[in-house]
Amino acid sequence: MQRRDFLRGLSVAAASAVVVTPSVSFAADEKPKGSNALSYKEALAAVTGSKTPEVSKKIALKVPEIAENGAVVPVTVEVDHPMNEDDYVKSIHVFATKNGNSRCVDAHLSPANGKAMLSTRVKLGETQEVAALVELSNGTFLISSQSVKVTIGGCG
Amino acid sequence: MSKRKTLIKVKPNKYKNGDIVKVSFMVMHPMETGLRKDKTTGKFIPAEYIKNVKFEYNGKVFTNMNIWETLSVNPVLTTYMKVDGEGVLKVTFTDNEGAVEESSQKIKPKG
Repeated sequence: MQRRDFLRGLSVAAASAVVVTPSVSFAADEKPKGSNALSYKEALAAVTGSKTPEVSKKIALKVPEIAENGAVVPVTVEVDHPMNEDDYVKSIHVFATKNGNSRCVDAHLSPANGKAMLSTRVKLGETQEVAALVELSNGTFLISSQSVKVTIGGCG
Repeated sequence: MSKRKTLIKVKPNKYKNGDIVKVSFMVMHPMETGLRKDKTTGKFIPAEYIKNVKFEYNGKVFTNMNIWETLSVNPVLTTYMKVDGEGVLKVTFTDNEGAVEESSQKIKPKG
């Protein structure tokens, strides 16, 4: 009897150890999520709604192919589109597809800009694609993306 | 919060009425994501970033940007603007805690 109890206790302890250890290691590996965390798919859907953006060569997305420092990656988006009163580029969105918060900039433009262009510097956590989404005043969406190789990640 | 150092650059230096000029806005800001740990204390550094940047020319907003903590430290934002007479270029930015600051520069077209 004593031997049986002992074995039973041992198996329970082993089972609990099995259950506990992975959860502990998982908690240690899990990165904290920021308050603004939003995946690329969700962020894209939030902007475009039900429409599907078409891949366009009108967008000139300038990003370095290899970024040595992920903390400072220059991004320039230029759109070859007229900026008239009735036909203009309404907004330019820049997304970093694998960042915790994939949204970088939403720039809402107007005909008073004269030229549709946006330039800034973003942080990239790992090697990933940078996407530029452009909304025209007639409601169509254009998209262009380019992959960036990041040597040292820049997100803390 | 003390006032942030800002800089507005208009390129090229000499421009006429009707020209399209490049406007760059720079601000000294840490852009903390809230996910970085302080190495000495081991605690998370609270998030601190700019939420919104508004470019105004003679009281009319021509570019309105929503930005997030994914931008680099000391962000630089560049856009274009059509010069239309003398006026004031004003840039207003809002913090994640709601603090609003503004900086401005005079626009003087020549010729």
